[in-house]
Amino acid sequence: MPPKDLILGFDTSAAHCAAALISGDRVLVQKFEPMQKGQAERLVPLLQEVMDEGGSDWSDLSAIGVGIGPGNFTGIRISVSAARGLALALDIPAVGVSGFEAQAYGQKKPVYSIIEAHRNQIYLQKIGENTVAEPQLLAREQKKFLKSEQVVGTSLEDSLPNICLPAFPLAVAIAYLAAKRYRTQQARPAPLYIRAADAAPPRDPAPVILP
Amino acid sequence: MNTTLTFLGLESSCDDTAAAVVRHTPGSCPEILSSVVMGQSELHADFGGVVPEIAARAHAERLDLCVEQALKKAALTLREIDGIAVTAGPGLIGGVLSAVMCAKGLSIGTGLPMVGINHLAGHALTPTLTDDLEFPYLMLLVSGGHCQFLIVRGVDDFSRLGGTIDDAPGEAFDKTAKLLGLGQPGGPAVEACAMSGDAAQIPLPRPLLDRPDCDMSFSGLKTALLRARDLLVAKHGGLREVDRANLCAAFQQAVTDVLAEKSRRALKLYLSENPTHPAFAVAGGVAANKRVRALLETVSAEFDVRFTAPPLALCTDNAAMIAWAGLQRYRSGARDDMTLSARPRWPLDKTSPSMLGSGKKGAKA
Repeated sequence: MPPKDLILGFDTSAAHCAAALISGDRVLVQKFEPMQKGQAERLVPLLQEVMDEGGSDWSDLSAIGVGIGPGNFTGIRISVSAARGLALALDIPAVGVSGFEAQAYGQKKPVYSIIEAHRNQIYLQKIGENTVAEPQLLAREQKKFLKSEQVVGTSLEDSLPNICLPAFPLAVAIAYLAAKRYRTQQARPAPLYIRAADAAPPRDPAPVILP
Repeated sequence: MNTTLTFLGLESSCDDTAAAVVRHTPGSCPEILSSVVMGQSELHADFGGVVPEIAARAHAERLDLCVEQALKKAALTLREIDGIAVTAGPGLIGGVLSAVMCAKGLSIGTGLPMVGINHLAGHALTPTLTDDLEFPYLMLLVSGGHCQFLIVRGVDDFSRLGGTIDDAPGEAFDKTAKLLGLGQPGGPAVEACAMSGDAAQIPLPRPLLDRPDCDMSFSGLKTALLRARDLLVAKHGGLREVDRANLCAAFQQAVTDVLAEKSRRALKLYLSENPTHPAFAVAGGVAANKRVRALLETVSAEFDVRFTAPPLALCTDNAAMIAWAGLQRYRSGARDDMTLSARPRWPLDKTSPSMLGSGKKGAKA
């Protein structure tokens, strides 16, 4: 029997550093550290601890799973950049997994996966058994229709009565999904921002140019 | 440490994503095996300046591609690299962070050592990469984000003689281009437009020349240019091409005059230390301006000091300078661990009082 796939999953898309090492179905190590800031300094040492506790070398990894958001823009880039560097160093695939998919992993489908977006908004994606709708950014008051739906999520500023918690810790779900996809998925992980960059064209227009 | 070293450099502190490979054997000249730069001008063109979030988004998805290209052009694999150097500040934090995290991934995955480099040190040490200058030399670093005179005494030993107390000249060139309806980046656009203009037609101030030190200011110059433009627009109902060319020429001349005169003062201070092989080097994007370059060369000749300006590709942001600075810092024992932070502010000279952003977060540069 060939050795089981060894997958490292991690995420810094919100106020945390999360990492997990899985081998086949088995979760070898799982860590979740809440933190408001300092993810850039903490992430790689945390990953090293996970590898050490799992008794694994970096060269044993089959693939990397990384959370691509949505969430904190800088936080997402911290993990995605590290994952792309690691993938290049180890010559293994890195698979981007959205927070929507990670939360919905192991849930009855279809399910609305929701993530706090702050500024009185929420990120939302409807995930079916085989189909996935476009992710959206919704005004908070528009979420009323979700009351009669199957909903999964954590850490909303105001909760929904019918919200389910994810079946797996975030980094574990990311690693499981990466394990399923890494042989076929080609694209490198890219952040899922949904919200556009905060930038406006200059207010004072240039003068009319006369010949 | 007398062996040949090959370093990979990563840079993304403003709007250029870059990776490069540099090799050096003690006793011979350093060799740039590859230097890849992916610019972002088109992404920021509509905004009249670099938008930090847009820059960060692009860097995060390009850094590993740049590294792959740099390795491919150098015909090397990561196994043949001895260490990784990464810009860890100062700069736009989102971009700096992406490179630092990518470098950490590369380092932990390969086991290669990593050195965090000050972006300004990269520019300041470039003359030792291109022209074999000897320490101490005088350096004018003049770009879109920085403007300072440094005496470079060693790989990690810099004294700042003075610098801008507000905007950098490159930023002022961009703003000028924006005010006059020229394209971005503003430096080349203003320079081209100034060719047909007459600087004498528009009086603009030469800020801080009345002060004997090496400090500069360019923010008031932008305002003066705006006022001059508005007068002309009001008079003619729009901006005539001839007036636009004159404004460009006047602005460029004012910047050049300030840089030249402050260079004289910096040279006097530098020469008072009796350096054995006196040299004046200029780097940064504004050093690409032919008028600036020519006048600084003239000033150097007045003082009988050797003048060097690295080739354009090594004057503007690039990763070869980071790889080179990292290689030298590594030789002198520098190493960083996986807790390396990205720093938006990071002055090169650790002792001189700060000139910019002296708030609670400390000096910018």
